[in-house]
Amino acid sequence: MAINPLGLVAALTAFLSIWIGHVAVRKVEAAAARLWIPMTLAALAGTALLLAALRIPGRSVSMACGITGMALLWDVLELQRQARRVRIGHAPANPKNPRHAATLAALHIQTSTSLGGNLELEGKKTSHERQPG
Amino acid sequence: MNAFGLLVGVATLVVIGMGFPLVIFGERYFGYLWWPYLLGFGILSVLSSLFIQPDWISALTGIVGATLVWGSTELNEQARRAEAGWFPRKARKIRPPFERIINKWKAPRL
Repeated sequence: MAINPLGLVAALTAFLSIWIGHVAVRKVEAAAARLWIPMTLAALAGTALLLAALRIPGRSVSMACGITGMALLWDVLELQRQARRVRIGHAPANPKNPRHAATLAALHIQTSTSLGGNLELEGKKTSHERQPG
Repeated sequence: MNAFGLLVGVATLVVIGMGFPLVIFGERYFGYLWWPYLLGFGILSVLSSLFIQPDWISALTGIVGATLVWGSTELNEQARRAEAGWFPRKARKIRPPFERIINKWKAPRL
């Protein structure tokens, strides 16, 4: 029986593009001061790969481009979702990032005023610094 | 023009999209200890795609396999999210066979 490697290629491309995208989204969102820049770059790269997928005649390479392109377009949405996760405290904030610093400052004010304004937060971990579980 | 790659890309997005509720509800009702079964089915699915001749079906079988492998690594993460109160949590789970052995293994995380 002849072996058809297309499924294996699809599986490896899908797994690696999701994995790398998953890690990259967290790191890029934490580092980027302006989120629209990586979002635009990912959207452009994703679209370019999808256009390449349409033009490449070989099925394996066309498929790899199609899957990676779609994963990159998904990562555009994920960058925004990651920013939201940081805002609501479901992902760690980077104090060196101006966007995150503003979120941390807002959280500090909100927590202090909601408890009468006398809460000392120095040295205490906020939900941004704690990992669940 | 070769639409194969683009269409498989769209199919990947749909299959992975179905993986999200699989992980959320799977963890809620079954618990994360089912991860070796998900991982095993995923690897079997990828291997079986090698013996499927139609390119479409082979590619989709491989993608389903990759999604199951990914899902097996996400079960542990989802258990942590539920533990933190970010998702509804069900205390009584349907336990997997060989639970004691699986408990000794470290669940994969990416």
